[in-house]
Amino acid sequence: MTFSMYSNFFRLLTLVVIGNALVGCQPSVTRVDSAAVTDLSGNWNDTDSRLVAQEMVQDVLSRNWLPSFSNKQGKAPTVIVGSVRNLSHEHINTRTFIADIERELINSGEVDFVASSKERQEIRSERMDQDLNATEATRKAMGQETGADFMLQGSINTIIDAIDGEQARFYQVDLNLIDLSSNRKVWVGQKKIKKTIEKGGLRW
Amino acid sequence: MTKWSDMQVKLACVVCCSLAISGCATYSAKSADMRSSLLSGQFAMARDLAEKQQADKDVLAALNQGMLRRMTGDYVASNQVFEQAKRRIDELYGVSVTDQLGALTINDTLRDYQGDRYEQVLLHAYMAMNYIQLGELDAARVEMLQADVKMREWGDAPEEDAFVRYLSGIIYEILGENDQALVAYRKAYEIYKSSSNRLGLATPQIVKQDLLRLLATEQLWDEYRRLKTEFGMADFKPVKTAGGYGEVIVVLNNGLAPQRQENAITTFSHEVSQLVRIALPAYRYRPAQLTRARINVDGRQQPLETVENVDALARHALNDDIALITTRAIARAVIKYKTQREMQDNHGGLAGLLMTVTNLATERADTRSWTTLPQEIQLTRLLLPEGQHQVNIEMVNTAGRVVDRMQQTVTIKSGQRTLLSEHWVAPAPVISAKSK
Repeated sequence: MTFSMYSNFFRLLTLVVIGNALVGCQPSVTRVDSAAVTDLSGNWNDTDSRLVAQEMVQDVLSRNWLPSFSNKQGKAPTVIVGSVRNLSHEHINTRTFIADIERELINSGEVDFVASSKERQEIRSERMDQDLNATEATRKAMGQETGADFMLQGSINTIIDAIDGEQARFYQVDLNLIDLSSNRKVWVGQKKIKKTIEKGGLRW
Repeated sequence: MTKWSDMQVKLACVVCCSLAISGCATYSAKSADMRSSLLSGQFAMARDLAEKQQADKDVLAALNQGMLRRMTGDYVASNQVFEQAKRRIDELYGVSVTDQLGALTINDTLRDYQGDRYEQVLLHAYMAMNYIQLGELDAARVEMLQADVKMREWGDAPEEDAFVRYLSGIIYEILGENDQALVAYRKAYEIYKSSSNRLGLATPQIVKQDLLRLLATEQLWDEYRRLKTEFGMADFKPVKTAGGYGEVIVVLNNGLAPQRQENAITTFSHEVSQLVRIALPAYRYRPAQLTRARINVDGRQQPLETVENVDALARHALNDDIALITTRAIARAVIKYKTQREMQDNHGGLAGLLMTVTNLATERADTRSWTTLPQEIQLTRLLLPEGQHQVNIEMVNTAGRVVDRMQQTVTIKSGQRTLLSEHWVAPAPVISAKSK
């Protein structure tokens, strides 16, 4: 190798080093629509959560358990949200799509929700506080809570197939509506999502 | 003295740049303060030293911060920075052009540190143990699944980590998923059996006992009998617990992982027909472990067994890589020699000298590794009656005297398993050797 090639080498190296340092100077922020699909790393993201919520809501309102209950009982069913277990290989926040499902169902007017066991601790302590401090007229009596008719439970499972830089991920979200008096499962909702991720072998 | 031409000025700039980038000290020298604080038992001070580094782009800084936060009891913050390390390791997948260029012209420390395979997998193990301490067992399960995917991605069995498999088994057992736990324990046993050389230890007795116990619980008698003869544990009886008993699993992180030192050797290169000087990383001789660990609860004593020998894994990992490191170092030395010759021939003595000085100063070995990992991970399990117990982890020297004791109070609930974890670093002997 001649010397000029070496000097070019060093010039290139200096440029590369300086270039690397300069690239990280200004962060660029772009606002996108909350419904836009942004798949960056291949992990569970908001698009997945939205797809699950859409499918579940559409399914739960169109099945037979709802009219069958309203005809027999003459009122809308009351549901309490139980635990949705994350049995997948990612740290997924299940609250995002559960909150979406709750919102859609309550707004449709056909299903009632009551506070889950975590939420009602705060409510109960507030009620106890009202017992001591609020006026007789505005005090809310204890023991007036609505008992739920159904409990919503579920799990997220994943199956991964990976070799070298390629991965195929399969997510399955299962939700069950269980009758609290008889333990019968009246509705089972399922959403499957599959992704393939390829990691480039060369980077700058 | 010749007037400095345009070219020489430019070259001087490059020289200064490269000196600034690589620094003139190895990683071991830079992290000496943190290591000596740890060796004198001052975890908080070591943590403060580690927190001074930037963890968002530097995997090693993040790993050290995570481990030190864990040692000082801050599990949430520890997991936060471990998660950063995990993400950065993911980003560093593949071969980087600038890294390779830097490695061939200056030194190996210009490459971003990705972590050896055993370190990447133990990262998941420590995140899982953090989650267990926080009571989030599902999150710990997620970490174990991620470790599983990683090990499967690597494909070949020799890279599997037996301790991580065993820990997965423990987590599945705590969650009540006995079938998954059985698969994990079986895998752990297979790896211990087949890779005892690389792992640096024989199959721990506790793993054999757990495998047999779970087989008995699941009533897989054929396998139970076959493994019983294979283990040579003919008088093993699975303990049938009446109600009112729970299990405590004690994990002790003993010591610190070994630190790489720099070895400068001179070798003959045929390409330039000259002696060239290269710097390679190496491990020093490990002093024998003179203290043994045991737990002391309610008057009962039980020794702790080593389930993971990180020291052996580290040495083995370096052994695997040393051929490639040496080849790269020799190629680099040849390139450096050629540049200094050309400078001398074409631009005079001063330029040649400047080049030689740069080359010598930047020839440092890459001594980076996750040194805040323990030297070994020791474990034992004990059945205790319900209620509160004072668990003492005692370090006993060869004379049988207790040199150190760590205490933790644990509440046992019937039928449940609790995990207890401690870090202990033996005080270093006061023979000071100058480490490069």
